[in-house]
Amino acid sequence: MAAEEDGDVFEITDFTTASEWERFIARLEEVFHEWKLVNREPRPPIPKGKLTEGLWEEKTEEVIFADFKFLVTYTYLKTNQVDGESESARNSQERDEGDGDSCEDEHKIPNLQQKWRKLYSGVAVAPGAGVQFEMAHLKKIPSQYTHLAGLLDVFKSKIGCAYVSLPPVSVSVRFTYILEDWIHSPWPQLPPDFSSFAEGEVGCTELDVLPFGACEDPVKELHLSCTWPSLSEDMIVENNAYSDLDPLQAPQWSVRIQMTEDQQCLLGQYLRAFLQLCTLTETTDDILGRLTTEGNDADKDSNDDITHALHRLTEPSLPYHIPSLGSVVSRATTHLKIKPEEAPVPPSLLNEILLHLFPDATGLKTSASRHTKEKHQTSRELTPVEDTAPASARSQRLEEVTAEVMKQIKSAPSDSLTYRLAVAFIIINHNHGGLRALAHLWQEFILEMRYRWENSILIPDLGTGSVSPRTVCSKPSVGSIPQPNLGSCLLHQKLQMLNCCIERRIKRESAGYGHEDTALHEAPSSVFEPATSLCQRDVPDNSSQTGARAERAESFASSSDEEFFECDDGEDNIAVDTDDDKIVSEANIKKQKFSHKKSLTSEKSIESSVSETSFKDSFTFRAEGRLAQIKNLHSLATGEPLYIPVTQEPSPMTEDMLEEHAEVLAKLGTTAEGSKLRARMQSACLLSDMESFKAANPGCILEDFVRWYSPRDYIDDEEEEGIDVTDRNVIEEDDQEKKEHGFDGDSLNRCKDGQSKASFDKASVAPPLEAASPAKEPKRKGQLSQRMQIPGNMWVEVWQSARPVPARRQKRLFDDTKEAEKVLHYLAGLRPGEVVLHLLPVVVHASILKLVEKEDPEVPVLKTLTDQVISKATKVTRMPYPPELKQYEEVIRLIELAETVFSRAQSLKTKLTRDLLERGKAEEELHHFVASLLQQPEVTVRGGPFGPAGSVVHRLFVASQKAAHMVVEERLEESDLGDHSLSLDVSRPPSTIPDFPPPAAREYILRAMIPHPTPYSRVLPQRMYCVLVEGDYRLAGAFCSDTTFL
Amino acid sequence: MEDQEVLTTLKILIIGESGVGKSSLLLRFTDDTFDPEQAATIGVDFKVKTLTVDGNKAKLAIWDTAGQERFRTLTPSYYRGAQGVILVYDVCSKQSFAKLDAWLNELETFATKHDMVKMLVGNKIDKEKREVSKDEGLKFARKHHMLFIEASAKTKEGVQCAFEELVEKEGIDSAEEDDGTSQAR
Repeated sequence: MAAEEDGDVFEITDFTTASEWERFIARLEEVFHEWKLVNREPRPPIPKGKLTEGLWEEKTEEVIFADFKFLVTYTYLKTNQVDGESESARNSQERDEGDGDSCEDEHKIPNLQQKWRKLYSGVAVAPGAGVQFEMAHLKKIPSQYTHLAGLLDVFKSKIGCAYVSLPPVSVSVRFTYILEDWIHSPWPQLPPDFSSFAEGEVGCTELDVLPFGACEDPVKELHLSCTWPSLSEDMIVENNAYSDLDPLQAPQWSVRIQMTEDQQCLLGQYLRAFLQLCTLTETTDDILGRLTTEGNDADKDSNDDITHALHRLTEPSLPYHIPSLGSVVSRATTHLKIKPEEAPVPPSLLNEILLHLFPDATGLKTSASRHTKEKHQTSRELTPVEDTAPASARSQRLEEVTAEVMKQIKSAPSDSLTYRLAVAFIIINHNHGGLRALAHLWQEFILEMRYRWENSILIPDLGTGSVSPRTVCSKPSVGSIPQPNLGSCLLHQKLQMLNCCIERRIKRESAGYGHEDTALHEAPSSVFEPATSLCQRDVPDNSSQTGARAERAESFASSSDEEFFECDDGEDNIAVDTDDDKIVSEANIKKQKFSHKKSLTSEKSIESSVSETSFKDSFTFRAEGRLAQIKNLHSLATGEPLYIPVTQEPSPMTEDMLEEHAEVLAKLGTTAEGSKLRARMQSACLLSDMESFKAANPGCILEDFVRWYSPRDYIDDEEEEGIDVTDRNVIEEDDQEKKEHGFDGDSLNRCKDGQSKASFDKASVAPPLEAASPAKEPKRKGQLSQRMQIPGNMWVEVWQSARPVPARRQKRLFDDTKEAEKVLHYLAGLRPGEVVLHLLPVVVHASILKLVEKEDPEVPVLKTLTDQVISKATKVTRMPYPPELKQYEEVIRLIELAETVFSRAQSLKTKLTRDLLERGKAEEELHHFVASLLQQPEVTVRGGPFGPAGSVVHRLFVASQKAAHMVVEERLEESDLGDHSLSLDVSRPPSTIPDFPPPAAREYILRAMIPHPTPYSRVLPQRMYCVLVEGDYRLAGAFCSDTTFL
Repeated sequence: MEDQEVLTTLKILIIGESGVGKSSLLLRFTDDTFDPEQAATIGVDFKVKTLTVDGNKAKLAIWDTAGQERFRTLTPSYYRGAQGVILVYDVCSKQSFAKLDAWLNELETFATKHDMVKMLVGNKIDKEKREVSKDEGLKFARKHHMLFIEASAKTKEGVQCAFEELVEKEGIDSAEEDDGTSQAR
């Protein structure tokens, strides 16, 4: 037993009796070990300024002493080194009152008492020296210590070296004065005038000018700090009775501006209110439902009742007579008669808004004619120009940014309907009834859209959209209609889409047949006719065709949807007839040749037999829908010149349609089957083109088509043979080329890069031409490429199914009626919240333009902010719909920030005006001063109290002081009349008003280098910081003592 | 596992004159086959392939377009949101090379991403009747800040490399972009 007890193997450490204190200490040690603070290598010294600029991090642990919790916090400076902290200061903060008495370590500054008092004490231990940190905090200032003399006494007694002849204490003093009353410059921002609508004086300006600026004065206080740095205690006297510290004598002045916190700005408020609506999920019916049912009860007969309009919207099959915009006025007044108090938007205001949105409506009222260019121009004039007339430099910047913003932000042009709608929406939301008003207005807007569609009136100011891709790609196509601009926001695209539909409808109806525009259709052929001297027999053919077309006009007017295959009367088939034999014989030749081919399969022979039947068909109809002759290209079957047919326009598409389309295609998967299905789905366009081609070139064969459509898929066998033949045609070719150029130029003027496209075009048409056989030698000179000969390939298949039908009689690839209804349905289906969401990009765009307009060249930070807003907005508006609202919040926050900075600058400028300057030439200095104040937290006043800026500040204080005393005087006089007035006058003569109010804060730093604690100790720095503010008196001392030579 | 590690989906578009071998290149890349009887594409076609570059998996959604001019009316819509584009010409056809300018023009008009990675591929180097030298291709690519490679869908040469290079470049660019945005925040 004894042996066992002695052996250290079985030594038992008993913790059962450990005291709370022991456990507390153990836990604390444990924490320090966890934080790896024990036995650390000394670290390199911290670079200067790092303590204030560096990143601080914290670790916190809970330590329990009995039933009392302590928080141990390790605060350290984050550095780039792996072993991060270079400063270790440990704070154990007590939650409640209690003694902060605890452990010792190198740096230890526990927080004492309540946390809010920020009271700390502690020690720092370095080799050979230690620092004692002490603090005193009082609410009431002991009068004997309210001045420098008293504080010096405290300091000296603290360092307690009475026995040494104390070197003079170095003193730094800083007094801070606060200016709150801005006598000469009250906040200049006028409150927005909301009364104008109520009074019935409605003008457009209120609907398209965004508000801007702060609601209240953003500049609250000016803090002037007067500093006397590092003076010897002998040089300065401040005691109960006397003070050397006159702010006007201070060597250093610096100014801080206290800004209003949470500045409310007008634009920001409007934007936030608008953004909030996005989250609302009520439908229009939810919002207006009550109103509409009531209205229905009130007046069921009224055609103009909004209920009816809504009803009609939901059932578009009904025949409707939506009131024209011109009658909107009367309709609105009808509303007024029905339920004037129920309408969310008062009728007069509604009219005003609608007229503002659709400035062309005034013209529509008198004449039902279509929207013309003239009206366009007048509408432009009606649109009020931005109110400011900025300096040329600024307007240039405005222009630059406007163009830049348009390119980057997916929005709508600033002169567009969408833009006007967005701005009107945000203003109406804030000023005229919020969501209900918006819902009402949106209904009216949709009604107007439908009215315009029904009556074929183009919607004004939607821009031209982007150039149709097909126009850019060189193939000349007829009547190109702008596509929705994919660079704009979705709502704008939808409206553009509707406009596309209206445009097509107009063309369809004005042409009287099909879906083409007569004017556009005829123009190219008339240009071309003289050029086609090679084939003069086609000229009469063409002209008679025109006549026939006109005859047919009426019959096709109504039924453009149907497919037509109409046999011709044969009145003008003489030319073709003469060639009949030839064609047949050629077809036979061709057939024979095909049969010789090894690659020919049964399907191929079917094809040729099909083509033969189609030749037979072709005898009985004449060429139709020709656009232009293909230069020097002749049919391999008939020897006739080949013609480019009039083809159907590509369907305009909005981005969501495109995405849907791509998605459908992608969903077909990546299998061969999928690919085939995909190709089939997309062959409608190919079929349409083939049919047009067949119609324009009776008796043509696939080879002919391929040579036009995909020249590289026709391979010439014997290139040499063609050479001398083509030489013969050189002259004619030249002649023709000129004409063709003229034509090309015409159609390409619309595209961005006409020249290169023209060359693109030429290159695509030219090569097969040279190789193509001339009319006299219609023999086969080449063959289809291998891939075109694959049995059953899509091209052959489609070619076989294609019938010779000119584009105008084909089934429309683009069904404007259907698409327009889709757009209208989409618009009607939007909840007001969604409408708002759709308008957000435009609203942001408008705000940016406002920022740029207000930009101040003297405040460069504004420009930086604007650029930030733009780049952020670019990203946000390009996000797929629906966007994250948080991102928009971020943008709006930035806009608010810019607005705030602008307001501050404006406010400061009015406060520190040059009127206060003694010398006019110091203006520049003042500008610099204002700009610095906006960017830096504290600005040193150059030249101190006597510099230009200093004198302005001085004057401000004087003015404020005078005013303050006057106010006091008046108030007193009013309150106690008579008795005291005499004594008051005596006690306060005007001359005694000081220039400055009593300092709001006084700070002192007292420093000395003395040996401590004994006279033979090393000389070490001692420091005490004192701050005296109303109700807060604080002394913080750091006293060093030598730990070696005690 | 594979699905989890796919970091990004990249939309890539293949454009170029008709018959230069766009579909064949794609088929070689995705299925590692070559079909001499590859049919002419109508409209656009679509294939997906997952690729690992530098240990990062990327899913490529590749849109193969028809070269015929008439079909180009639709292709501009596919430029939307594409991160990369492969522009193909036939080294045996001077004409297909001459039209590259026009293609680039179209690309600039319709692309929505300005930082789109562009790659130039000279196809059909297995053929004998070469009309465009490698140097010409290089020069063109340099002039227009493109990646460049010569390849043959038939012999497989250069195909895998082309796609990998494009994805790698795309990865770098998008990473840089991400940095930029995070800093801005």
